[in-house]
Amino acid sequence: MLTLALFQGIASGVITGSVYALLAISIVIVFKSTEVVNFGGGEMLMSGTYLAMMALVAFDMPYVAAFGFVVVGMFVLGISFEAGILRVIAGRGRHGQLTLVALVVATVGLSYILKGVMRLFSYTEQARRLPSLFRGPPVEFGQVLLQRQDLVIVGIAVLVMLLLFAFFQFTFTGKALRAVSQNPRASSLVGIPVKRMRTAVWGGASILAGIAGVLIGAKFPVTPDFGGTVVLLSFAAAIIGGFNSLPGCVLGGVLLGVAQNLVGLYFSSAAIAVTPFVVIMAVLIIRPEGLLSGRSVLRKV
Amino acid sequence: MFGSPPLRHQIVLLVLVAIGFALPPFVPEYYLFLLNSLMVWAALALGLDLLMGWSGQFAFAHMAFFGVGCYGTVILTKQLDLPFLLAMPGGALIAAVVGFLVAIPSTRLRSIYLALATFAFAEGARFVFNSWTGLTGGPDGLRIPTMTIAGWKMTSDRQVFPVLAIILAMLLFATQQIVRSRFGREMSAVRDSEHVAMASGIDVRRVKVLAFTVSALYSGIAGGMYALINSFINAQQFGMDGAVLALSMVVVGGMGSIPGVLIGVVLIGLLPVVLQTKLRSMQLWQELIYGVMLTLSVTFMPRGIWGAVTGALRGRR
Repeated sequence: MLTLALFQGIASGVITGSVYALLAISIVIVFKSTEVVNFGGGEMLMSGTYLAMMALVAFDMPYVAAFGFVVVGMFVLGISFEAGILRVIAGRGRHGQLTLVALVVATVGLSYILKGVMRLFSYTEQARRLPSLFRGPPVEFGQVLLQRQDLVIVGIAVLVMLLLFAFFQFTFTGKALRAVSQNPRASSLVGIPVKRMRTAVWGGASILAGIAGVLIGAKFPVTPDFGGTVVLLSFAAAIIGGFNSLPGCVLGGVLLGVAQNLVGLYFSSAAIAVTPFVVIMAVLIIRPEGLLSGRSVLRKV
Repeated sequence: MFGSPPLRHQIVLLVLVAIGFALPPFVPEYYLFLLNSLMVWAALALGLDLLMGWSGQFAFAHMAFFGVGCYGTVILTKQLDLPFLLAMPGGALIAAVVGFLVAIPSTRLRSIYLALATFAFAEGARFVFNSWTGLTGGPDGLRIPTMTIAGWKMTSDRQVFPVLAIILAMLLFATQQIVRSRFGREMSAVRDSEHVAMASGIDVRRVKVLAFTVSALYSGIAGGMYALINSFINAQQFGMDGAVLALSMVVVGGMGSIPGVLIGVVLIGLLPVVLQTKLRSMQLWQELIYGVMLTLSVTFMPRGIWGAVTGALRGRR
């Protein structure tokens, strides 16, 4: 009986973990190309959930159209934040660490703005769930029961990751983005529009967070404070991957999702709050370069 | 900028202490309560600014260290029956030790790991406050016993006011000394360029760990001060909203300058009080207001109000 609960816990950990992985990827691609840690990532995810709710409930759209609505809305949010705020701060020139602090503070400001705006809508007053992504009887794997919707959630998450991988690996823009994150100056010398690329990264990262929001909103009831909890797990997932590896984010997300469920199963559901901190500290003490990277990478001057 | 601070700065501190003793009989209790809370916020914000404005590091955990200092002070008073003058430094010391332990692994690889680890620490600390029922009272919270200072029972804001004024004056004095010391110059060097600092023979990691520990110590002291003006604490009081409030004070007032931080503390600290009288649905709007304020000031007023004012004065001359 206990092993069944264990397998069930692992399975549902993989499902939530794939959503944490999406948000972790969103945060890491922003970090790799701009060195900014996006503390507003959780609130972007939460905004994605509420945008979908708006599309589904207020505009009566079907789910596919709601996804489109979220993608467009989040893209606009991401590029306007980068172009309107971050570019102004970074454009003031080099002030060492202070510029970085200012950029991070701006993302904290963004998180509060998004939370504040969402609170003004009447359906955020109580926790609400999006309608099911997919209905139907649960599927059996041996004795483990899985909801069909959960399979769809993992499926969409994996599809988005594969598309992202293909984009970075095979398209010209994707390769240019990788070049920008490796060496911005050399990239601009060979004619890559570095500033426009950074804006695009923020747009893309916002879309990823928004999609993650729709997926998790279909599974759990959401409040405006929900983002803070999820982003913590995604930070931990990203640190497991060394904060620079996208496969590391996926591994970290799944590990975190499973760990969270096992902690809930064997200790208490309240102890889930310390899991990210314990994981982050353990990784930083034992293997600060992350589980996947071979050696520690120091930043170039 | 460096060397021992000019005499007029010391006089300001003496004036602060003098006000602490002279003001209470003439001011209504409610205003003293407001001033007391502003002094607590000032201690917290000064510590945060040492880390952010002077050494260029970002961290989220100051509300948690504030909580550790506060719970520490109260528990030492309650369980060991210590007087405030021993309990408060004890609580602050615990906060500093915890800060030190968090900082050591977090400063090993990337400078941003400190921010991430402290962000997670803030959540974890709240969980501990909430669930270590035997020590912290758990969700029910903890009643704070009457504190005693040199035989005096601290029962009203009127009595507490001079005590807080003395502590704040001492913290201001310490801050002036720190930023002008060798360590202060090392912090500024790390802030302006880690590589140049490293090349000049500064142990960058030691500076970061020390700056974070000192900053946690300030937060712990602020927590002890908070125990003096409250009669009840629970985990709710040490959440993320307080951290963002302290962050706004430092950023809006002006990072890396003592007058700037104090201006920020007064403005941001009084804002909720003023808004509550004008705006009924303050609770609904406050996150949006703080978010907009924080983002706009960091974007268009990089050195805060103090930086904008001094810049304008210098420009006119």
